[in-house]
Amino acid sequence: MQQNTVDTNWINQIFAPLHNPQLLQNIFGYSTKEPWFFTEFSFLAVFGVFLIFYAALVQKNTWRKLYIIAFSLFFYYKSSGPFLGLFALMIVSDYLFALAIQKSQGTRKKLLLWLSLSYSLSFLLYFKYANFFIHNCNELLNTQFTQQDLFLPIGISFYTFQSISYLMDVYRNEIPATKNVSDYAFYMTFFPHLVAGPIVRAKDFLPQIFTPQIINASLYKESLLRIITGLLKKLFIADYLGKYVDIVHELPSNFSGGENLLAMYAYSFQIYFDFSGYSDIAIGIALMLGYRLKENFDNPYAATNITVFWRKWHISLSSWLRDYIYIPLGGNRKGEFNTYLFLLITMLVGGFWHGADWRFMFWGLAHGLALAFHKAWKQLFPNPKNQWYSQIFSTLLTFNFVAFCWIFFRATSFGSAFASIEQIAFHTQWKDFTGFWLSRQEMGILLSIAAVIAFFPPNLKERFFQKLQILPTFTWIIWTLIALQIIIQFKDDVVQPFIYFQF
Amino acid sequence: MSDQNSIQPNPNQSLPSTPLNGEGNSDPSTPKNPSPWLIVWAGLSICLPVLLLYIYSCSSQTIQIAGFELKQILGNQDIDAMLAELDEPELPSKSNNTSTTNPQTNTDSNVMAMGDDSTLSFINQANKKPFSLPAYELPVFADTTKHRILLIGDSESGGLRYPLNDYCLSNGHKLVLSLEWYSATTFNFGRSDTIQKIIAKYKPTYIFLVFGLNELYARDLKARKIAANQLAKKLRGIPYAWIGPANWDEDHGINKVFQSSADSATYFLTKKLTLTRAGDGRHPDVQGYRVWMDSIAGWLQTSARYKMAMKPPRKRGRPFRAPIITINAAKYRGY
Repeated sequence: MQQNTVDTNWINQIFAPLHNPQLLQNIFGYSTKEPWFFTEFSFLAVFGVFLIFYAALVQKNTWRKLYIIAFSLFFYYKSSGPFLGLFALMIVSDYLFALAIQKSQGTRKKLLLWLSLSYSLSFLLYFKYANFFIHNCNELLNTQFTQQDLFLPIGISFYTFQSISYLMDVYRNEIPATKNVSDYAFYMTFFPHLVAGPIVRAKDFLPQIFTPQIINASLYKESLLRIITGLLKKLFIADYLGKYVDIVHELPSNFSGGENLLAMYAYSFQIYFDFSGYSDIAIGIALMLGYRLKENFDNPYAATNITVFWRKWHISLSSWLRDYIYIPLGGNRKGEFNTYLFLLITMLVGGFWHGADWRFMFWGLAHGLALAFHKAWKQLFPNPKNQWYSQIFSTLLTFNFVAFCWIFFRATSFGSAFASIEQIAFHTQWKDFTGFWLSRQEMGILLSIAAVIAFFPPNLKERFFQKLQILPTFTWIIWTLIALQIIIQFKDDVVQPFIYFQF
Repeated sequence: MSDQNSIQPNPNQSLPSTPLNGEGNSDPSTPKNPSPWLIVWAGLSICLPVLLLYIYSCSSQTIQIAGFELKQILGNQDIDAMLAELDEPELPSKSNNTSTTNPQTNTDSNVMAMGDDSTLSFINQANKKPFSLPAYELPVFADTTKHRILLIGDSESGGLRYPLNDYCLSNGHKLVLSLEWYSATTFNFGRSDTIQKIIAKYKPTYIFLVFGLNELYARDLKARKIAANQLAKKLRGIPYAWIGPANWDEDHGINKVFQSSADSATYFLTKKLTLTRAGDGRHPDVQGYRVWMDSIAGWLQTSARYKMAMKPPRKRGRPFRAPIITINAAKYRGY
């Protein structure tokens, strides 16, 4: 009898959400405070069901496209609600601008380009930077402008950059403007890259609308492996490291130099696993639908200098900055001094893109100076000896510089960042590390694992993933189950949102 | 960032060369997928594991593998039902066990105190026997009662202490101590006996509790509810005001947990207030703390269970002279 009662409760519990009076509200309502991420189990469940229906439409290109657009809009609506209208407006206006640019010539064409770029950027400038400018204006000029209560529409930084790249590519005649608004809408709204990139280029993506990938067993395994790896990277490694980082950065001066130093490394790995994990999930989901997004990370911490680091870190952004800011400014075609100047400007814009705060500008400036320094160094010593020890030294030097700069990225203020640096520089003792190991052994182990993965030779990593694909197709449901259970087992009760989702 | 070296990340896929504006819908070259059933299987590979884990999480039983319990998906419990269930019977006496049978944890020498040295040694002293509070007499409440106020909390209390100090000085209360336990959560307050010791030493007649900012996203509400109940038990007999966290984001039920553990009308729901924030976006700024304290003061005079005189201060920003103990939960958990 007791057994029966338990069983009934269990079944009732399973169907309880169906009896929830707020069921419809939960499904069709939106929340700007709790955006619907790829890491939500509810998203994974809905995406699985979405795929089952997708199978029926996959051979009909138009329906397939419309089905994905509809889901993408729903996905965006769940996180941003009424801002969906703004997004739709931007898509339609970009589409019309591109057609007009294509048909025009000479000054009129240039004028239209500037008009369309200003229009696209105006949304980003208003929502992301208005308060920053008001605040600084008030501080500097003693004015009394009131700051606005603005919500930053999710993904605006990413889709604005996509829109700019499309308009500029059309202007440069690198791609023709899309004739069909649904093609452009598909490119812009495609949900795997919508919230936090990768920033997809129209010329890479639009052709795939007409010739998507063939979804075969190998593609299925590759995509599922990417999703699983991404989930583990984000939910298991990054979130766990984030717990420690958060504690230290709440009040860095309260922690020893050693603890601050380890928090600096922990954050370096947290941001890498967080964002590359997110990119893995995005690439995996897109691949499962038959579309290949470009890689966003390529073992960046194994880079031997800062220039190479920027070719491997957030590739879609760094290549965007190169193609749409650095090169249009003049690149290295306008003299040595200007090359350095353009580099600094580009990195400052890159820093500012990450957030409306002087800390991000400072971070961008530091990287810009390092890039300029490396460029000058290369001119002085054009043929370095690539001994194994010099490779290791330069890799460690690059990593430590990058990690140091992350302090400004993570700290809550300049004061807090300098407090952390002061602790590291003047209050680091050997006993800090032994103390850390004694009190936070599991964090120490995870930090070591993260370091090994980050510095692991990429070819071995690739070989390992290829070996995994030998596993038969029907077993992959079990590997997914195990991976999800591992995540639940170690999941922090405080799940961090994607670090990059509101940049 | 060099324009000679273009970035070509793993071009595993050579992009198709079909014209962008080809009539893609009827394009005969559109590749045929070998089997839509593979896509169905792909969908099942993702949604079935989630479904299975969901079903498992609805069960009251958990599976053990080699002594390890397979955890269930968090956050899908009915908070109200769980709180009611935990409130009805006598709560597990785990609190007393943890705080009394592990006295050696109290000797942790990592505690950081910036107050006077006597308080430091007081917390650090070895306490080999079970700890109990002296019996308290409930004082008679009237607006004129001058209280000995003890402020206990996480980093928020570090900001709230200044406006509270202004109120105390203007109303004749004495702020006997501000215990700031950075990064502390319900577990630190509930499971440790630090608070009991502080109470025994400073003999407050009114306690302000303020924490929860570190656990807005907490989903293990059951464990936190047990700890909050343990804390409420420790305060029994002393009038208190339990100030909810200054939510910067929606919580997952921690306010409900605190509210259900606190005695009726002793919980101040800060969540409702709109406070200006400091640079970190989480802690209130100076103005935010003042507004917060003004609201608490209004509530204490009118609707709180344990009312007290809290007239607006005549002067703000007065010097803070009460002793302060700061502890960092990262170094001293207390249990």
